[in-house]
This record gives sequence, structure tokens and C-alpha cells, in this order.
Amino acid sequence: MDKVSAIRPGRRCGTEVGVISAVGASLVYRDHEREVFACSSVDIEVVPGEFLGILGPSGSGKSSLLYLLSGLKMPTSGSITFEGQDLHQLNDAQRAETRLTSFGFVFQYPYLLGYLNALENVMVARPESDFREQAKALLVSLGLESKLGRLPHELSGGERQRVCVARALLGKPKVIFADEPTANLDHANGIQVVQLLNQHRGDGSLVMVTHDPSMLAEADRIVRLEDGHLAP
Amino acid sequence: MNPLGTLIYLRRNASRTLPLMGVIVLAVLLICAIVSLINSIPLSVKTIYKYTSLMMGVTPRGEADRTPQIKRIIENECPVPIGRLALCRASSTEVQALVGKWQFVVIAFDRPDLEYVLKRMGTTSLVGRLPEVGRPEAVISEPVSRNLKLKLGDILLGPDRQDAYSPQNVKVVGIAKTANWFMFADREYYTANHFPPIDFILVTAKNPARQAEMDRWALRRFKGDRTQVISYLEIERQANEMFKTLYKILDVVIGILVVVITLMMGMLINIYLGQRTHEFALLQALGYSTKALVIRVIKETALVVMGGWLLGVMCSIAMLNVVDHWLMYPNAYALDITDRTALAYTIPVPIAIFSAALLTLWTRFRRFDPVGVVERRLV
Repeated sequence: MDKVSAIRPGRRCGTEVGVISAVGASLVYRDHEREVFACSSVDIEVVPGEFLGILGPSGSGKSSLLYLLSGLKMPTSGSITFEGQDLHQLNDAQRAETRLTSFGFVFQYPYLLGYLNALENVMVARPESDFREQAKALLVSLGLESKLGRLPHELSGGERQRVCVARALLGKPKVIFADEPTANLDHANGIQVVQLLNQHRGDGSLVMVTHDPSMLAEADRIVRLEDGHLAP
Repeated sequence: MNPLGTLIYLRRNASRTLPLMGVIVLAVLLICAIVSLINSIPLSVKTIYKYTSLMMGVTPRGEADRTPQIKRIIENECPVPIGRLALCRASSTEVQALVGKWQFVVIAFDRPDLEYVLKRMGTTSLVGRLPEVGRPEAVISEPVSRNLKLKLGDILLGPDRQDAYSPQNVKVVGIAKTANWFMFADREYYTANHFPPIDFILVTAKNPARQAEMDRWALRRFKGDRTQVISYLEIERQANEMFKTLYKILDVVIGILVVVITLMMGMLINIYLGQRTHEFALLQALGYSTKALVIRVIKETALVVMGGWLLGVMCSIAMLNVVDHWLMYPNAYALDITDRTALAYTIPVPIAIFSAALLTLWTRFRRFDPVGVVERRLV
């Protein structure tokens, strides 16, 4: 567990170091009258090109942290910056644009649009025609050359998740966020998906959330979350 | 090809979009058909009496010998140049209108006037011949022959017919090809056989385009006089007045229909959008802004609504064509298959449905949480 480390207290978040930085980021849900801290004063930064694993048991707030880092959720307090820009300062359209052009996503469930084939599903991430060849190449490199024209219901669970991986990789995003991408796959397929993500991410960072430490064998760094706090 | 292009979703989800379109098509078809068919009632009345737009009738009231005086007034005072001023006799009969039997007039002319009036009515050809002087014979127009199912040699008026009485059987000897409705007979026969012995006057404007001007003058000039002016203007006004209540009822029916259809479509669109929650959540999570998604759905909805409306209009025209061919034309009932009023009545349908769709969209996206969906907390 020598790779498991939280950000050192007091380490400065700067563009020269972290591509994404969270400073004192908290996310509070309101459950009736009770306040629930999904994340509590988290300081963390994602270094360019690294594979960062976020490990924790179910309900520890790791998915919430991922959604905070990716701008899908706004922190209740604290800040999240991407390349020095506070995501909170951006409007909905600007945050969306950042996600579309700079981030890639793989979710726990292999969400694909049922009326689009595999290639078109990948292109959803970057619908401009310039990305068509790259999308094809990605699917081929992920072993789906014979499935380009298949609809999602004609693909197996593992194949669908690989299409999701290709979608996340399209356009060479600066950061790929993977939220338990192996949760619905058998171990072998799970390992394969993580390896494919890691192999094809190029210079981009990979932030992966999981409760299964074996999926983080290739991670450069692992942080643990417990009850919304980074474990020491 | 943009995989998120508007047409791609509609085309590849035809089983979802076509029923929505189908409801709009049916609504438009229903409204268009109802309004066109209702409109055909006054239209039929106006068509039946359209011939009066080409000439004006003036008759004395309760003073049989006043006709020469009326004639002099018209000749001397009418500001519109007169084409022909003819003395005639008349008797009544009936035609079959959409709402039952409708009074119609058989007009008896002297031969030269008859020839003039036939030309004035736009007769392009005549099957048979004109009535002979003093004989119980009549010439009718082609729509009348269709309406009353009369052929050459059939009896138009007769002694045993209460609603179409003449002391002798008046036979159809000629059928004039024209769109106008008329039944013309010989004046000499009428003078000898028909009561009351009153001549009335038919006047035409030299320029047919000025006939309405002449009608207006006569209505003004003979107002309060013991004279009746029979003009298309009056018939049109009476027809409009007669169907005023019917149109009020029609407005209420169409209004209810539009509200019901809109509510139904609003609910259908809500289900339709509900089935796409995962799609919207995924796209929003990937980086499509709410605005971009809303614009995309608005474009799709606009296409469905406009497509449905256009298809509905086309279906209506096709259906009304069939109705016209099988029901209306054989009976000479008037039906405007491209009735603009009927089309105007359908316009609230797409507008109301589109507004309902926007409202549904707004309520769906107002507090939409893509994370909740992709995390499967909200499904």
C-alpha cells in the first residue's frame, strides 16, 4: 500500500503541478432535515499524466469526489480548479464545454444510446466529422473492429463497456474519469477494461474510483476515502 | 454525419415518433374534416344562389301593376350602366341542399332574354335545346340536373307536385353546361298558366364586375318601398346570419377538441421524454449543456409537430377529395377541399401541442440531475 497517499497538507495547487485541484472541497446533501457530508474538506490534485486511484468502501463518497472533480457537481464549499480555472466560476455551458473537450467519462453502467451503433456512440463524445477516423481506430484498437455497426443490444456487457472506454478516449481528453467502470463486469473483463483505459489514455490523466484494490494495480497513486474524508 | 442530428433520432425511433405524429395527423384530419363539411352547408347555399351574383331581381310587393314604374326608376336612376333589363315570370320549386330541401325559383324569360341570360350564366354548351315559345319546357343547368337527378325528357314541374307545381308537366328539354344553378322556362307559357300574374324585373350590370354596386344601389333606393330586391349580397348576408349560431357551436367544439388533444399530447410527450431520461443524463454528463439538449429536443419536437400537421393537412385534402367524389359532387353539393378557414382552424393544434411540449420540457430540465441518473439513484 505504499502507493496509497493523500495530498500532503499545505501543498500548493497550481497549474504547473495539478491539472485538477480540489481545495477544501465539501459536498453536502440534505436528507430531510439532516445534513450529510458526501465529501468533507477534501484537498487533492490530479497531476498531468498520472493514473490516480480513489479507493473506498461503498458510501465513502468516492463517486461524489469524482463528480466534484469533473464539474458534474459543484462543491458546497471549497473550490475545484481545472488548469487554474475555478469550475464554479464557469456557467453551465462553459462547464459543459470543458467536460466535452477536456474530460472523458466511463460510468459504472455502460450507458450507450440504443439507437446509435458502436461507432456513432463513440462519436457522441465528439460529433465533429474530423473525429470519425479516430473513433474507428479506437474501436479497432479495443478489439471491436467487427462491431462498429452493431447496436448496443447486439453487444455483450464487456463490449459495451469497451465502447464506453473508446468514447471516453475520443479526442484525447486531458483527464478521464472512471466511476467504478468494472463494477458490472467479471474480474477478467474488469482488468481488461482498466488496462485498455490505461494503455490508450496517452498523456491524459486517469482518475478511477473503485472499491476493488485489485483494479488499481497499474495506478501511479491511490488515495483512500472514508466517510467523505481522505484517509491519512 | 452527426449522430445527434435531429433526423437521426426521429428516423431510428420511428416506433416512438410516428404515434406522436399520428395523433397530430388525426387531430388535424378531424378538425379539417369537421370544419370543411360544416362550411360546405353555407357554401352549398351560396353556390345554389350564386347565379344571383350575375343579375339582380326586383319585384313589386302587393301592387302588381307597379312593375313599369320600377322599370322606369331603374332605367333612369341606376348609376351603373345596365346590360339587360328583362321582364320575367317565376314559380317556385325545391332543390336538395345539404340540410334538406331548399326553395329555388324557375324563371321564365322571353326567348331573346333567355339566350342572353344563358350566356351571362357562363354556359359553355347546351345538351338538348331551348324551350319553345308557349310550351311547357325548361332548360336547367348541369348542377341542377345532378342534384335533382333529372335527364332530358324528365318532368321538372307538374300538376301533381305540391312543391313544384305547374298546370302541365314541364319537361326538361335542355341541360346547360355551367357551374351556376338555374332553371329557366318560357315566359309565354308562364303568363298563360301561372299565378300570380306579376312580372318582375331582372337587371344585369353591363360590366359583371359592377353587379354588386348595382345591387347596393337598388337595396338603398328601394328601401321602405313596396318593392323587393333579390340580390346575392342579401342572400349572402342572410346565409351568414343563418349559420352564425352553428359557427359559435363549431368554435366551442373545436376549442374543446384542441384542449383535449393538447392535454393528451402533453401527457404523451411527457412519457416520450421520460423514456429518454438516460439519454439526456448521459449527454449532459458527457458535456452537452442543458441549453444544447433543450434546443435539440425543441428541434425534434418542432419537426414532429410540423410534420404531423403537414401530413394531417395532406390526409385531410385526400379524404375530402374522396368525400367530394363519392358524396358531394354526385349531388352537386359544394365542398371546398382546400378550405382555408378549415386549415386555419387546425393551426392552434401544432401551436398548442408545441407549447405543451415546451412546458413539459421546461419542467423536466428545470431540476434535472444527470448524476442522479448515471449513478442510477434516479431512474
